[in-house]
Amino acid sequence: MISDQAKKEIDIWVAKYPEGRQSSAVMQALTIVQKENGGSLTNELKQAVADYLEMPTISVEEVATFYENYNHKPVGKHVIRFCHNISCMLNGSDELISYLEEKLDVKTGEISKDRLVSVKRVECLGACVGAPMCQIGDQYYENLTKKRIDEILDGLK
Amino acid sequence: MNNICLKSIDKDNPSSLATYETMGGYKVWRKILNGELSPEKILEELKIAGLRGRGGAGFPTGLKWSFMPRNQEGQKYVVCNSDEGEPGTCHDRDILRFNPHSVIEGMAIAGYVMNATVGYNYIRGEFMEPYYRCEEALKEAYDAGLLGTNIKGSKVCFDLYSHLGAGAYICGEETALLESLEGKKGQPRFKPPFPANVGLYGKPTTINNTESFASVPEILSRGGQWFADLGVPNSGGTKCFSVTGNVKNPSNFEIPMGTPFSDLLKLAGGLRKGRTLKGVIPGGSSTPVIPAAKAMKMTMDYDSIEKAGSMLGAGSVIVMDDTTCMVKALTRLAHFYYDESCGQCTPCREGTGWMYRVLKRIMDGQGKSEDLELLLSVQDKMLGNTICALADGAAMPVESFIRHFREEFEYYIKHGKSMVENDG
Amino acid sequence: MMVDIEIEIDGKVVHGYPGESLISIADRQGIDIPRFCYHKKLSVAANCRMCLVDIEGNPTPQPACSTLSSAGMKVHTNNEKAKTAQKAVMEFLLINHPLDCPICDQGGECELQDVAMEYGSDISRFTEGKRIVDDKGIGALIQTDMTRCIHCTRCVRFGAEVAGIVEMGATGRGEDLKIEPFLSEGIQSELSGNMIDVCPVGALTSKPFRYEVRSWQMNSIQTIARHDLVGSNIFTQTHKNKVKRVVARDNESINETWISDRDRFSYQGLNSENRVLIPKIKVKGEWKDASWSDALDFATNGIKKNAKEGSQFGTLASKNATLEELFLLQKFTRGLGSDNLDYRLDTSNPFNAKVLESNISLTELETIDHALIVNSYLRLEQPMINHRIRKATLNGASVSTINAKAFNFNYRISQSVLTSPQNTVATLSGVLKALLDKSSQTLPGYLNSVTIDQTHIDIANALSNAKHPVVVLGEHVNGNKCSDQVAQLVANIAKASEAKTLNASLTGNAHSAERVNFKPDNGKNALQILSSDLTAFILFDIYPNFDCIESKNAIEHLSRDDAFVVVMNSFDDESVLSFANVILPIASFYETSGTHINVDNIAQSYSASVKSAGESKPGWKVIKVLADLLNLEGFDFTDSSQIADEALSLSPSFSEIEVPISNSEMPNVATVWQYTPYASDVVVRHASSLQQTRIGQMSEASVCKATAKLLKLSEGDLYNGIPVNINESVAEGCVFVHTHLPRQLGVI
Ligand SMILES: Cc1cc2nc3c(=O)[nH]c(=O)nc-3n(C[C@H](O)[C@H](O)[C@H](O)COP(=O)(O)O)c2cc1C
Ligand code: SF4
Ligand code: FES
Repeated sequence: MISDQAKKEIDIWVAKYPEGRQSSAVMQALTIVQKENGGSLTNELKQAVADYLEMPTISVEEVATFYENYNHKPVGKHVIRFCHNISCMLNGSDELISYLEEKLDVKTGEISKDRLVSVKRVECLGACVGAPMCQIGDQYYENLTKKRIDEILDGLK
Repeated sequence: MNNICLKSIDKDNPSSLATYETMGGYKVWRKILNGELSPEKILEELKIAGLRGRGGAGFPTGLKWSFMPRNQEGQKYVVCNSDEGEPGTCHDRDILRFNPHSVIEGMAIAGYVMNATVGYNYIRGEFMEPYYRCEEALKEAYDAGLLGTNIKGSKVCFDLYSHLGAGAYICGEETALLESLEGKKGQPRFKPPFPANVGLYGKPTTINNTESFASVPEILSRGGQWFADLGVPNSGGTKCFSVTGNVKNPSNFEIPMGTPFSDLLKLAGGLRKGRTLKGVIPGGSSTPVIPAAKAMKMTMDYDSIEKAGSMLGAGSVIVMDDTTCMVKALTRLAHFYYDESCGQCTPCREGTGWMYRVLKRIMDGQGKSEDLELLLSVQDKMLGNTICALADGAAMPVESFIRHFREEFEYYIKHGKSMVENDG
Repeated sequence: MMVDIEIEIDGKVVHGYPGESLISIADRQGIDIPRFCYHKKLSVAANCRMCLVDIEGNPTPQPACSTLSSAGMKVHTNNEKAKTAQKAVMEFLLINHPLDCPICDQGGECELQDVAMEYGSDISRFTEGKRIVDDKGIGALIQTDMTRCIHCTRCVRFGAEVAGIVEMGATGRGEDLKIEPFLSEGIQSELSGNMIDVCPVGALTSKPFRYEVRSWQMNSIQTIARHDLVGSNIFTQTHKNKVKRVVARDNESINETWISDRDRFSYQGLNSENRVLIPKIKVKGEWKDASWSDALDFATNGIKKNAKEGSQFGTLASKNATLEELFLLQKFTRGLGSDNLDYRLDTSNPFNAKVLESNISLTELETIDHALIVNSYLRLEQPMINHRIRKATLNGASVSTINAKAFNFNYRISQSVLTSPQNTVATLSGVLKALLDKSSQTLPGYLNSVTIDQTHIDIANALSNAKHPVVVLGEHVNGNKCSDQVAQLVANIAKASEAKTLNASLTGNAHSAERVNFKPDNGKNALQILSSDLTAFILFDIYPNFDCIESKNAIEHLSRDDAFVVVMNSFDDESVLSFANVILPIASFYETSGTHINVDNIAQSYSASVKSAGESKPGWKVIKVLADLLNLEGFDFTDSSQIADEALSLSPSFSEIEVPISNSEMPNVATVWQYTPYASDVVVRHASSLQQTRIGQMSEASVCKATAKLLKLSEGDLYNGIPVNINESVAEGCVFVHTHLPRQLGVI
């Protein structure tokens, strides 16, 4: 269920924590297997992570459902996480989110028809001086305008 | 400006070890490794410096460090809180991106003072760029023999690891952070026991904010008094402020404590053309909003902001001009706390949702005349009744927004739309 | 108890120990502080916030459950500030809680309802639409209605801390926090029903009890559960002469506040269709219903006719019979001049309880620092005893096992030695030798040729390094031909390591049987009774298919034409009909008064909770009448308590005997036959909900690859009717059967 490559990556995290505390690596383990699975988690993956880290499965489920960054349904190849919190809101994020939804013909929380993108409204991502902003993959995009959004979307394959 | 934590921001290759060292970095650490600086001396300097925790609560850092049972046997930990999630706050991100070595050195010093040989830097999960910068910096530090066991033959040991979160504001709360670091969901622990006695993995642990750690090397290198003198009494030194919202030039500014708010506003380019100031949230979304007139009179330090009716918090100044619909702003904040409550305490789990729903209903034109009293009563029942301060953070905006901008709320309820012209 | 600090609660000076929580002090003083998440046997969560109190000097109210007392503290539990906080929390709790008390099974015994009466304001200001939560379903025993959950996490903590199986969790966050298991696989703990008791509201209720009656319509009767060696204290709750529900009754030194699922849900068996309700006699091979007097005449005449000599008569009784029944039956048998009697039907070598005494109390078990468990899946066999050991492990005790299979314990096993039944004597000898070597003691002759290996040394070390070790011998020994030697070696090991002993191979009410000496002095034991030429028998609550180790032989033997068999049973059974001549229906659990003696030698007497089913009568009365009809002396009892008094006046007759250790001949492959805990006696076998659980459904014959090869078994084959599972958790040379199905063979 978990690839050897993913296991290697998980092991790097496990090594950071004291002996017997491998469950400290559970968040990263979930992140790693989620990435490998195209951006979302399944029950089987959570079970596999639980087995690999010797944790009760329900404890992994608790973690997987507590943190915002895990998806429990398939997502687009790129997930655009758009901040709508106060600083971004004051700088027009709502308008830009609407623009994005219209342009992609996709509602927040959904996947575009070509499965290339999904859009998610998220809370503050800690880049408020660059409002409005969004995150795609590991990357932050700040000081967004409609024009900048067009460019970014053009770059997504 | 930008003299301490953000001092490398304009340099080439700001995050590198070389840049850090040309600015005097690791001088203090090397002194320690040479046996020239005792823990007691460090604690004393920190106390003189008047450094207060930058994470929001403003607890004196030196005092916190002195609570650690440094002579108790067994593992102890130093943890850095780089979870930066308070809406309006983003200066820790810049410290991590541009000055990661200051955090490493600060944590190493803390480890030495408290006899803790392992540290973790808990970085919020979305901060991948800062994380990579920190990892690079850690590698540089290890390669330079500045971290590890028996560092440069000094018998001093300190290992430091980055840990990544996965999206939960509550993990900024120190005990939730510890739970999360242990691989659990981030639910705050009740206190006592405090982390200094029972912390990470049940061991004595000290947690400080990124900026708190990053300030330490400079303080020790230039002296506590020097730092204290930068600020005002009871608010020593400089502090990073994120200025966001309706200003021309939103940015992070590291400025002396006690700087007038009006100066800070100017630094941020002032308001946009033709706009007037309506209100300011001075310390991040959890702190009460201050109406314009009062804000313009306050200075940026703990006491003055408190006098103005709010808190310095995390130093996140959210500026709102006359185009802002306060009902909408508050609803957005209420949604945030509703979304981020960990759910364990009854008042927070139920109260955040209740307040958000009432506000949402008002926004939808379904407000009732008794709603404002209801909101005030709900927030009052949450205040002070929970394990952590998230519920307080959810309650205080509601109280302050309604108190200062009541007529806007009443207008919305009565007319089903915003009083602010181009909104709603 | 060190009581050395003084605090003030509501103006009253009270005492506590330093570090004791305010709520615990208040509880002891009878000062009522409302609470939902706090439970005295669970860790403190402080999440419900219901117990907020005002502590002088504190700006905000503090939870009484997580605030530790310190000398001089002044606490107010019901001043304005405290009340305001408590009312606030109550309002929050109620906004999303359904107001469906009239249809909720918890109605009338709901902690939320109780507190709401006192604190809740009756108009709800919450008009936003209540939360509705989907139910996943968690198995046959517990009904979930999670919309009613108040997220106190008692059930979650119970699972993690007491049951030791983390099954329930709190997923999601904020308002979406949900108490649920990972998948709807069903909860697997043998203690799961306690979650029903700890749940303060109607989120978790008893599934078999669902919609039966309202709680306040029932009578609660104090009684004792009878399935294990503990005798957990319970209430039977009855309505219209039926037991509708069983709940735990606190008794700190016996079951604390918990009971096993077996004790909680077995009552369902009583209401099974399969009860014997009317006396029956077999005339010319045909069964006929009979009046009590006809049936009793038929029985006594048959005995008189068929057993002219006492020695032609034999009696077998269930180990779950009451002390009174066992006492009268042995008196009856001996009165007839027979010494052929036994309760040890599942032993192939009715080894003597005298070989291994129990000398540790239940509470003392919590204080051990090492346990060696031999021949036992203790968690399922004796859940409450296992729970005490688990508590010890939470305080750092280690546990090692010598078993035919690696079982799923709810604590870590530091040393697990897999040993087939035929090797158990050798393994234990190795451990004993290692122990004696360590202390340079002279070895008894039988250890000379024993070889010791590292595992023996490890276990010996664990025992000898421990300050308070215990050795536990379990149920599996009963099938072993050398059970007496195994018991002897366990006793010797305990002696050599100064360990306490716990003999958990005596199950049910066996301690009562031992007390009244329900076994032959010189006569025939169970196996002999069932294989020699006796001609008249009494079988008391016995179902040979399940209960007798050589079930097939036993049934054949009892079916002989010249055998007259009087059966006193409470349940119908096909095979019993095939050999019995008369069936006298007797009362079952909770239908008769009686006495149970537990592993601590505590005799607990109880009265009947309900009248016996149909025309059945309490066993002791039937035996008494039979005795009277046969003109036996000494049966003038009018009340079961008189019988108990006489029985208990017999002193426990423990006189140690020494079994010689020898090289007995053993087969190449041995079978260990273990029933699921829900097949351990006839009542629980008829409890339908327990049968539907994962534990109840267990049925597999585990065997390792090598042994499978030897026996030419492959995965999924049937081994004596039980599906084969090949895995390496079983000792070589042995088949481990765990099932709810009847035995089909003789077992070594
Ligand atoms: C809901 C909540 C969120 C918090 N988030 C953060 C945060 O993101 N970063 C931080 O440094 N401190 C945060 N804090 C404060 C920490 O609990 C803690 O006080 C701080 O990390 C201590 O470090 P300091 O003494 O250096 O300020 C938060 C507190 C609460 C109650
Ligand atoms: S199900 Fe019951 S015990 Fe469990 S959290 Fe909910 S209210 Fe508490
Ligand atoms: S009983 Fe104290 S907070 Fe729940």
